[in-house]
Amino acid sequence: MAGESVRTLILCARQEMLLAARSRWTQLFAVVFAGLSLAVASSGYILSGGSGLQDFARTAASLVQLVLLLVPLTSLVMGVLALTPERGGAEILYAQPIARPILLLGTLIGLFEALVAAEALGFGVAGLVIFARTGSDGLAGFAMVAAGSAVLTAVFLAIAALVSVGQHGRKRVRALAIALVTWFALALLFDVAVLAAASLLRSGHASRLLISSVLVNPIDAVRTASLLAIEGTGAFGAGSLALLRFTGGPGGAALLIALSLSLWIVVPTWTAMRRLARMDIA
Amino acid sequence: MIEYRAAVKRFGVQTAVDAITVSIGRGEAVALLGPNGSGKTTTLKMAAGLIRPDAGDVLVGEPAFRPWEPSARRVLSYLPQRVAFPEALTGREIVEFYRRLRGIPAERSQAVLKFASLNGAGERAVGTYSGGMVQRLGLAVAMLPEADLLLLDEPTAALDPDGLRAFYALVEQRQAAGRTIFFTSHQVGDVERLADRFLVLANGRLVAELSQAALRDCLAARGTMRVRLDRDTPGLLEAIRRIAPSASRVGDEIVIAGAASLRPQVLDLVRSSGAQIRGLVAEDGRLEALYRELVARGAEHTE
Repeated sequence: MAGESVRTLILCARQEMLLAARSRWTQLFAVVFAGLSLAVASSGYILSGGSGLQDFARTAASLVQLVLLLVPLTSLVMGVLALTPERGGAEILYAQPIARPILLLGTLIGLFEALVAAEALGFGVAGLVIFARTGSDGLAGFAMVAAGSAVLTAVFLAIAALVSVGQHGRKRVRALAIALVTWFALALLFDVAVLAAASLLRSGHASRLLISSVLVNPIDAVRTASLLAIEGTGAFGAGSLALLRFTGGPGGAALLIALSLSLWIVVPTWTAMRRLARMDIA
Repeated sequence: MIEYRAAVKRFGVQTAVDAITVSIGRGEAVALLGPNGSGKTTTLKMAAGLIRPDAGDVLVGEPAFRPWEPSARRVLSYLPQRVAFPEALTGREIVEFYRRLRGIPAERSQAVLKFASLNGAGERAVGTYSGGMVQRLGLAVAMLPEADLLLLDEPTAALDPDGLRAFYALVEQRQAAGRTIFFTSHQVGDVERLADRFLVLANGRLVAELSQAALRDCLAARGTMRVRLDRDTPGLLEAIRRIAPSASRVGDEIVIAGAASLRPQVLDLVRSSGAQIRGLVAEDGRLEALYRELVARGAEHTE
């Protein structure tokens, strides 16, 4: 039985990989991400008065912001588009003698593989050029940003699954709208709102709010982990510094961030699977 | 093979299916008829495991299981009313995906593609297919497993004559193999050709259950015959009205509504009048008219 489930998972993942590879959205994302990564690698050094390419550490630090904006948005949109099939498509799929959660999980795995492959292309192109011109200094931080990008992909695909469950057919537009609002809230609005709220609170409460904000928002969690890996606490914001003080060092902070991100992947995925298993495909 | 036990399904305040109790045995071909919004699709989806009843029960297979248990759906194959597949995949890739999903032998893919007349288009992306071709692909997917129970929701709605021929061939082959077929349709041709028994739904309630002979009689009794003559023969209409009181003259035609059994007598009267028949059209009644009657009758019984 377990073997059959694994076989089905692999089959669904392969099918979704194939679909994602043929999707213009994935292709566009791969090209844009690779282009922007190369542009980031080339630009910062010039702006700072030097010339040529940045090394791995500088590129990684510059790439973090690009990853934090682009990857969640792409994962949410691609996830919703893939997980909200046309009406007849959902019906014919879910009438098969396969548990719906397995079908959903297989689709998510396939999408994750496709998007991470597109991101790897971007990081790979930039990485190869940097390596050829400046050597391998700071490669570990660059790899951490790439890993953070993959984790963000998983988190926002999980959120896309939660948003998309049962929203097939004409409800797809509603799911897309919810996804975009979610992205806007987490990627753009959240930090401003937290800082504004923290400025109105007493020191102790403000500190707790800032610590929570890093752990509650997966984008902030990945930002903190990436910056920690690249250049220590030098580029930290108020929330990240508060978290570091609270945990007493980078080890504790990394552990809490890992726990938070794991929950962000597991809880929405599990909830989506559970809801899908019970809902009517009307 | 399918059993509905006082099955009820509500969507908000609307009752889509209202306490349906019916059994469909192995090897039967049963058509579910009714006007739009009468609950046909919901009834079929409950058997396909896509919708759970709010009250009562639905069981499929032998031994019987609830179809929302994934393993229970091994016995069935379902074709939805509107079929959709990812446009970037080819017909063959879609058939192959569903074949592997159900663990069906590889040679079935070719067979169903051929049956569904998609052999030539199997390598093309679904995005290039017409509506009828997508429907045929859906049919191919539904016919992949040799399932004991076929659930088809308006399977012929988008089919062209070639698709229709392929559909009839596929379904008749399954009937001959003793499979159970439960389908909805608005096409009299489908239901007369394929079904042994008819269930009529109205407002979510089962208002009639008819055999094929009974349905044919019902439709014939609600039919019309139009006779166009070469000249106006005095006294002919009055003579016809004595056996068919609803007969009337419309333009140059005599229109006789009502039982088909009267038609030979009417034609005898026409011939004996000496007039020449220039045109003759005999039509059975329409399903929609029958639904209206059954719904009205159901409402009377309810009152």
